Amino acid sequence: MKFYVCIKQVPDVNAPLQIKDGQLIQDADRNILNAYDASAVEEALVMKEAHGGEIEVVLIGPEKAKETIRKALAMGADSGSHIITNGDESYDSFSYAKILATFFKDKEYSYILCGKQSQDTDSGLTGSMLAGLLGIPYATNAVGLEVTNGSLTVKRQGDTGQEIIDVPSPGLVTCSNDMNDPRIPNLKGIMQSKRKPVDTISVADLVVDVSSESVKTHVLSYEEKPTRQPGKKYEGEPEEVARQVARLLDTAENVI
Amino acid sequence: MSTLLTYISVNDGKIKRSSLEVLSRCNELASLHGLKSAALVVDSAAAAIADQLKQYGPDTIYTIENPIFKNHLNTPLLRALSRVMEEINPRLVAFASTESTKDILGALAANSEAASLADVSEFELTEAGVKAKRPVMASKIISAVEAKGSPVIITVRSGSYDVTEKSSDAPIESIPFSFNDDELKITLKEIISASGDKIDLSEAETVIAAGRGVKDEEGRKLIDELASVLNAGIGASRALTEAGVYDPSLQIGQTGKVVSPQLYIGIGISGAIQHVAGMANSKVIVAINKDPDAPIFEIADYGIVGDLYKILPPFIDELKKVKNN
Ligand SMILES: Cc1cc2nc3c(=O)[nH]c(=O)nc-3n(C[C@H](O)[C@H](O)[C@H](O)COP(=O)(O)OP(=O)(O)OC[C@H]3O[C@@H](n4cnc5c(N)ncnc54)[C@H](O)[C@@H]3O)c2cc1C
Ligand SMILES: Nc1ncnc2c1ncn2[C@@H]1O[C@H](COP(=O)(O)O)[C@@H](O)[C@H]1O
Repeated sequence: MKFYVCIKQVPDVNAPLQIKDGQLIQDADRNILNAYDASAVEEALVMKEAHGGEIEVVLIGPEKAKETIRKALAMGADSGSHIITNGDESYDSFSYAKILATFFKDKEYSYILCGKQSQDTDSGLTGSMLAGLLGIPYATNAVGLEVTNGSLTVKRQGDTGQEIIDVPSPGLVTCSNDMNDPRIPNLKGIMQSKRKPVDTISVADLVVDVSSESVKTHVLSYEEKPTRQPGKKYEGEPEEVARQVARLLDTAENVI
Repeated sequence: MSTLLTYISVNDGKIKRSSLEVLSRCNELASLHGLKSAALVVDSAAAAIADQLKQYGPDTIYTIENPIFKNHLNTPLLRALSRVMEEINPRLVAFASTESTKDILGALAANSEAASLADVSEFELTEAGVKAKRPVMASKIISAVEAKGSPVIITVRSGSYDVTEKSSDAPIESIPFSFNDDELKITLKEIISASGDKIDLSEAETVIAAGRGVKDEEGRKLIDELASVLNAGIGASRALTEAGVYDPSLQIGQTGKVVSPQLYIGIGISGAIQHVAGMANSKVIVAINKDPDAPIFEIADYGIVGDLYKILPPFIDELKKVKNN
């Protein structure tokens, strides 16, 4: 089976950030492999280990994002494709989906795996957009994958329970980070990753309209979230604090 | 006159409150801009549900009724929505944000070449399309965004707007729809339902959330008891859903569900940003944690510092007393 995993480099949401004049200022050095994509890579590795096959990762991003491809290769993916951007474009999920659709047009694959969302924007659009553009069946929010006779059975987290769905090949699945704990690359993996092939493609070489006029969604500005003030802390005798808080929830807050 | 279309989410024959929140907002925008607000029900028993919608004030109610919609499957739902969009050419299609609607948002936008925004917490119409706010960076900040064109497709976080009742005499129009099984492509084999998920978390007025501090059977019993005294929905942090202690559909946070209850009580939860992303809009937040420096105390209105196993029994007793008074 041939798996492609679409991976994205995202800013670490745990890093300190600042808003100045509506602009978001982040520590440019704290970029990571999107956690949901790391889970997609992990799941592909587990399937490859059990059933054989090949895993290629695809990333759209600036030169600097190559480190994220290396990370996935160090985890165990076989090869990578890096679709290079300047890094200052204001692409939205649809732009990325269009670029990926162009990349995949003449490729053969069993399945494309994506993360269910980007950890920084929580959009969760690119995967199903890509499936729509390629006209292939898909499932989102997978929390488990199983291979039977070269075909995937997806356990997806639905609204009230889990839906078990057969997705025929070629198809696409978006992965939740709830399905596994991605492995941390070991030294051997890191050494091997340096010799694995990474194809470089320029966005300009793919015939796709991602001009700024074609991008339909934009961030206008960033704002602070209205902050919650911490309330009172209650320490001491369990009986006493329990009584105090229970009464206040009733009389002061009226929520009991 | 152009239309603002609200998709009505239905779960087990019941309308999801979050989709009525969206409908209420669309009604408001429609009267502000002189547009039409329409509701759409796509369900195996759509006609029965359509009747209930009259008390929420849409101008028109569209239905697509077909047995295929008994369970969620993206292929037929996408077909139905494309069909409706062709038919009524709406300016906005708005969904409550659920796992089912997020499943199709991207593909629907790609198929109809419409701009889309996921998980907005506020939205309004502009000349160019739609302006909205979305929490980003694990909900640490808000981004103001714009989507251009017509239609624009959005999903809205639960709890973003109030539900307003307004009886209307909206006509119910059924849109013909047929679907062949061979168009399905994907097949639903089974649904594993969460056991004990009687109260829909995203609609619950009171939510009790359990975290890693809840270590054993005894702890879970305390959680159950507290929830039953308060008639609350039970949720959990990822630490416990991952460990298989609670069903994954009960996870609250960035990966899981967004809740916005009147009262949230977090028990043995540290308050990682990814968890807080799903509960920060609760009206009153109570936290019970033995670590006085746990980050959850930074957002808790009532922070009880102590061992949950010692706090919960008297807390439950007191709440029973308060309830009985
Ligand atoms: C991309 C991404 C998405 C994520 N999505 C989610 C999500 O949707 N939801 C989510 O919850 N997490 C999510 N996480 C995980 C999150 O970062 C935390 O790891 C998780 O929320 C921790 O759960 P916890 O608070 O239960 O456990 P811990 O952080 O281990 O905290 C346990 C707390 O219990 C307290 N405690 C222990 N014993 C007792 C006792 N006897 N009495 C009182 N207090 C006690 C401790 O002091 C501690 O504060 C996500 C992470 C990533 C990277
Ligand atoms: N620049 C990118 N390069 C490769 N894959 C991407 C890129 N952007 C988004 N994706 C894929 O789409 C998913 C997230 O979509 P979204 O939340 O819409 O940004 C990620 O988890 C990736 O699988």
